[in-house]
Amino acid sequence: MSVSADSRKQILERIRSATQSSAPAANTNGGTRQYQIRGKLTAAARKDLFVERLREYDAEVVECEPEELENAIAAQLEASGRRRFVAPPGLPAGWLVPAAWKITGFEWDIDHDLPAGEIEKAEGVLTGCFCGVAESGTIVLHHSAMEGRRIITLLPDWHLCIVRATQIVETLPEYFDRCENRGEGSKGTKVQGNAPIGEVPGLVTWISGPSATADIEMTRIKGVHGPRFLNVIVVNDGDQGSGAGG
Amino acid sequence: MSALAEHEVIDRPILDPALAPPFPVAALPLLRNTQLRGNLAHAIDVIQARRARLVEEKTDWQALRAAASQIKDEALENLGALLEQFEERCTRAGGKVHWAADAAGARKIILEILREAGVDQVIKIKTMTSAEIQLNPFLEASGVHACETDLAEIILQLGDGEPSHIVVPALHVNRGQVREIFARRMGIEHLSDDPKALTEAARNYLRQKFLTVPAAISGANFLIAETGSVVVVESEGNGRMCLTLPQTLITLAGIEKVLPRFNDLEVMLQLLARSATGERMNPYTSLWTGVTRGDGPQRFHIILLDNGRSSILARKTGRQTLRCIRCGACMNACPVYRQTGGHAYGSVYPGPIGAILTPQLEQMRHAQSLPFASSLCGACYEVCPVRINIPEVLLELRARVTDEERKGLSRFFDPMYIGLRAAHAMFSRARLFHAAQRAGRIALGFFTRRDGWIHSLPGVGAKWTVSRDLRGLPKQTFHEWWQGRTRGTREQRRYRA
Repeated sequence: MSVSADSRKQILERIRSATQSSAPAANTNGGTRQYQIRGKLTAAARKDLFVERLREYDAEVVECEPEELENAIAAQLEASGRRRFVAPPGLPAGWLVPAAWKITGFEWDIDHDLPAGEIEKAEGVLTGCFCGVAESGTIVLHHSAMEGRRIITLLPDWHLCIVRATQIVETLPEYFDRCENRGEGSKGTKVQGNAPIGEVPGLVTWISGPSATADIEMTRIKGVHGPRFLNVIVVNDGDQGSGAGG
Repeated sequence: MSALAEHEVIDRPILDPALAPPFPVAALPLLRNTQLRGNLAHAIDVIQARRARLVEEKTDWQALRAAASQIKDEALENLGALLEQFEERCTRAGGKVHWAADAAGARKIILEILREAGVDQVIKIKTMTSAEIQLNPFLEASGVHACETDLAEIILQLGDGEPSHIVVPALHVNRGQVREIFARRMGIEHLSDDPKALTEAARNYLRQKFLTVPAAISGANFLIAETGSVVVVESEGNGRMCLTLPQTLITLAGIEKVLPRFNDLEVMLQLLARSATGERMNPYTSLWTGVTRGDGPQRFHIILLDNGRSSILARKTGRQTLRCIRCGACMNACPVYRQTGGHAYGSVYPGPIGAILTPQLEQMRHAQSLPFASSLCGACYEVCPVRINIPEVLLELRARVTDEERKGLSRFFDPMYIGLRAAHAMFSRARLFHAAQRAGRIALGFFTRRDGWIHSLPGVGAKWTVSRDLRGLPKQTFHEWWQGRTRGTREQRRYRA
């Protein structure tokens, strides 16, 4: 497209002449980061804050021990009153067929490039996550095999997300450090099946509560186009007291 | 106020700076609309209270603001190199990067892409940049229907309204009005005015479109030069739908949106939602990099739009305008915006940021009244998450507008110019100044009422008294009082001696 090529030259020339007088700034790598980077809470308090902030967004949160996880998942699925679920391909098999659970009849669609129409028929979705940020009650998906393609956490009306306590950091900068492997935070973390730590992710979705709007008279209404229900199971997998997030 | 007579009172707001009447004229019908002002005041109070609470709990807020303005300044200083880096990385990841020097160029590129994709309908995430280039009417005229998906934008599109806020565009519409619009345009007979029911109606109305329309248009909150990624911040999930479901995605982004690094987001994302909607974090933020095989649109185009931005970059004082991350906090804080709402600004960018952005984007050819639509109270500067000194830019723009007006000989017929020249002569000579004070006291004495106030003045003076009272001049100036006082003490001293 010649229009675009001409414009490119023109814009870059204008920018060059506009910035000529200012000395080319050194790559300051974000300045000096005078704001809060590290969290101050213990692992237990960090997890509690994460749970509290999620609840403020109207998310349903339960906690469980690692050995109880499959039962906890089954209980959530059962309580949802839904039968048909979609799941990313990388989930542990135990999550999908809760052997200890007496009730059967859950229908699972494993997402191997399912068409949108099929995913639309699912009533719920079950995924893991890359990270949880306590301060803002945010769940971060990097869309690995445990978290799935973006579409599966979008069309179903109900999202059940499993967050391990060791995946929770306190501040947003701690999450970014975890991505870039700059902080001590990444050592000793047990993030399973996720995009390799130390790489800037190409796809990210930051989720803070169920979809919402305040467009009519600033009244917050839960659930517009994304999942109207966000349920979270926090798994207490950390050695209590040790800081996993750095 | 002669402008009042030249323009008829308008019903439908005009948001094209080239056509819109000056601010005071556009503001008049809005000031008389008590319904609109009520809706506005309610919504602003809610956002302001929420923002204040969440900013207070953030003990490092000022450090975050400082970091954000530093990051943006660095990005603007290196803009050319960063855009080229973004282009290279985005292209490598499978995206197609286009450049548009102006609005017409951007519209043309978008239409060509849509024609190539063979679509007659496109879904849109709210983007102020597309409103800036007046994309929807252009596409409509070219046979492509642009379907807005943000709840507020649907309200405006179906209700044939215009946005009045950059974050909450239908801020001025209340639930009853929304109910009426939805019932009429969606053909729903029994619809309650409960926001929940109205939201549900919008969800059902759009669901099929999300699943079937093959192309989408979005804006961008941030571009990441380091990775070639694009970031969109939203609440409802309509953004994620548009970014994920269609085969073709077109993103329109101003060139100033670029950030150097991925982890610069750790600052921006902490500031944006708190400032914009008073939330710790907005429900959904999406980042994508070119095309991901098997996930989302397989054709991704991004248009980097200049449209006046590089001319702002060249101005020493004005450049900080380009730091703006479009949070809207300045309009919520502004005492002028609170009274008039957004439509008076005659542009898709209202409020204090609009007052400095619009005239500069128009390269001072239009919207010259906007820099004067401010009391210079500085509330906008205080809340701005990227520390744009809006009052400073307003003053600079006022000077530019005035300089422009004073270029020709016509200035000698301008009472304001003549008055100020006379004042200059007077204020620089004490004798003249004192004489003028005495003359003024006598002249204004005729207009001063018994309560000590002047309620109306003739001629140029009416410009002041039409909306404000003026205190009458006191019987004695400070100088006169002081001289009397020293004389008195001298006499006392003499008496005592």
